[in-house]
Amino acid sequence: MDDAIRVEGLTKQFGSFTAVDDVSFHVKSGEIFGILGPNGAGKTTTLEIIEGLQKASSGYISVLGLDVDQNPKTYKGRIGVQLQSSAYYDYLNLEEILDLLGSCYPNKLPATELLKQVGLSEQSHNKVKQLSGGQQQRFTVAASLVNNPDLVILDEPTTGLDPQSRRNVWDLINEMQNNGVTVVLTTHYMEEAESLCTRLAIMDRGKLIAVDTPQNMISRLENTYTLKLELTDPANEDQVLSLTESSTSIEQIAPTTYLLKVNKSPTSLDHILQTIVTTEMHLKHLEMNPVTLEDVFLSLTGNELRD
Amino acid sequence: MFALTKANLKIMIRNRHTTFWALLFPLMLVTVFGIFRFDTADSASIAIYQETNTPTGTAITEAISELAFLEKPLSVENELTSITKIKNGELDYLLSIPSQFEQDQENVNMLTRLQLRVNPNNSEQNQLVEAAIHSVIAILLTPEPTRETSLSLEVENLEVFQPRYFDVVLLGLVGLGIMTNSIISIAVKISTYRSQSILKRLLVTPLPIWKYFASEIIAHLALALVQAIIILGVGILVFGARLSGDWIGLILVILLGSAVFLNIGFLMSAWANSPSAASGMGNAIALPMVFFAGTFFSTASLPWILPYIAEALPLTPMLSAMREISLENASIIEVWPQILTLSGWIVVTGLAAVKFFRFN
Repeated sequence: MDDAIRVEGLTKQFGSFTAVDDVSFHVKSGEIFGILGPNGAGKTTTLEIIEGLQKASSGYISVLGLDVDQNPKTYKGRIGVQLQSSAYYDYLNLEEILDLLGSCYPNKLPATELLKQVGLSEQSHNKVKQLSGGQQQRFTVAASLVNNPDLVILDEPTTGLDPQSRRNVWDLINEMQNNGVTVVLTTHYMEEAESLCTRLAIMDRGKLIAVDTPQNMISRLENTYTLKLELTDPANEDQVLSLTESSTSIEQIAPTTYLLKVNKSPTSLDHILQTIVTTEMHLKHLEMNPVTLEDVFLSLTGNELRD
Repeated sequence: MFALTKANLKIMIRNRHTTFWALLFPLMLVTVFGIFRFDTADSASIAIYQETNTPTGTAITEAISELAFLEKPLSVENELTSITKIKNGELDYLLSIPSQFEQDQENVNMLTRLQLRVNPNNSEQNQLVEAAIHSVIAILLTPEPTRETSLSLEVENLEVFQPRYFDVVLLGLVGLGIMTNSIISIAVKISTYRSQSILKRLLVTPLPIWKYFASEIIAHLALALVQAIIILGVGILVFGARLSGDWIGLILVILLGSAVFLNIGFLMSAWANSPSAASGMGNAIALPMVFFAGTFFSTASLPWILPYIAEALPLTPMLSAMREISLENASIIEVWPQILTLSGWIVVTGLAAVKFFRFN
């Protein structure tokens, strides 16, 4: 399949500050491509350059096979864009806003159809400010579909939403994919990236650190589990030493609680459990978690994901 | 673009709050000027011309200077100059005392004529002044009651071109309303749209952005026209303003002026960081211009280089063209200097707006 977006060596400088530093990636047609990173990582700048809102300092970008510098009008007509925190007109109702936005494109979908698609048919004569946060976000998704696009770019579509509304937006995005629309989105929610995206790009401080499927990213990590041990008494030196031998790292997070990273070798879990028994540690509580994208991010950047 | 213009008009109509207050302000001023009638608030000016200086003539002059509602009479040497002054509205009355007046005093039963030339526009005041002069003469002559002098005061109404102050101000208020509304509403609107990313949202569409601006301008010009019609309508129907002349020409001048102020509004929005800053900036530009362009008072008496600055402001040619058309029956061709100045302003402000405009 063709690439929906090709970004080659994209760099954007604001004075001496490099917001986007030599970034290259391809988005395949039909996938949900996520760009993950903390605030200030350069996600929005990258998207705005792709959308034609900013000019790249250097690099090449094509969207739907069209060079963005050569064919700005053509490709803009075929992409749908949802901007971060776009408020829309205060004095027009939902249907009128969609009609107005649609009139900016050569081909537009009927407003009623779009509102039905995002479950806002009953609100079609309301103003945006009368909607709840989740409804507003669904509305901006509808607004991004107004020109029946082949590619939709969503900038933080679920930021600030409650879990229920977030799931609603995820459903909409999955539906877009089922309809054959390629979706590019930015997020700083790990679980969103993990469950929604076909492939992920991780950005930090303007640089692209990794591009892969969420599953590949996780399985590439040496550690696959995190064990949280809570003991009845603090462990003595010998006990700690024997735990260290059977895990890749150990961290004491409370007087009687330890966090262990365990690698994916088949016997490692077995080994730890045996150690606990043989050194006569008394377990009060045991928790085992698989490694998440958060750990991937941590290991790639050395940073916690900053909000 | 039609859809955009339609949406813009809808937004304006629904944003009643702003539109209403923008219209109410000039309307309130229309009411103030309509009620207070500044036309008659001044005391009237009178000049006295004596063909030859006579004691009676001097006595009349002194008696008239006692009248509280008249300014101190001005003795003049040249009758014709004073007549011209009345015609230009610079003087209200001219009393001419003929030289034979003195002899006529001796000559009982002879008809003596004093001549009073008046500006017919202030009929109530004129009656008052005529009566006062009559009684002045009567009192002066009573010491010799045996004399049967039939003294007449001949009153001549001059053709005067002097628009009433209210009519002048009414047109000024139309200009004021359109200027403040155009500058401030565009500046506030665009900076609001910028802060809400609405401008960005339009930029990611294939719509050529000039179409968006054209739609804003068309919608605002339509609003300016409605605003002008309402203000003029209230002035004419409620307060009896007398305007005549070429209405099409008046509309054209209003639209040209409005276009200049819309450009200035776009320019302000480029410099303002927030909607409230845009509003403040718009007011700071608009309010001084209201005074310096002669909306309420003539700017001819301003000191130093200020009259020249006043002349250069865009509101000045707009108001002067509107007044020449509607008060002096000038045609649109006769006000070409103002039209040219306004067109120049449109080009300059337009280029500046394009140069400095920013989307985010």
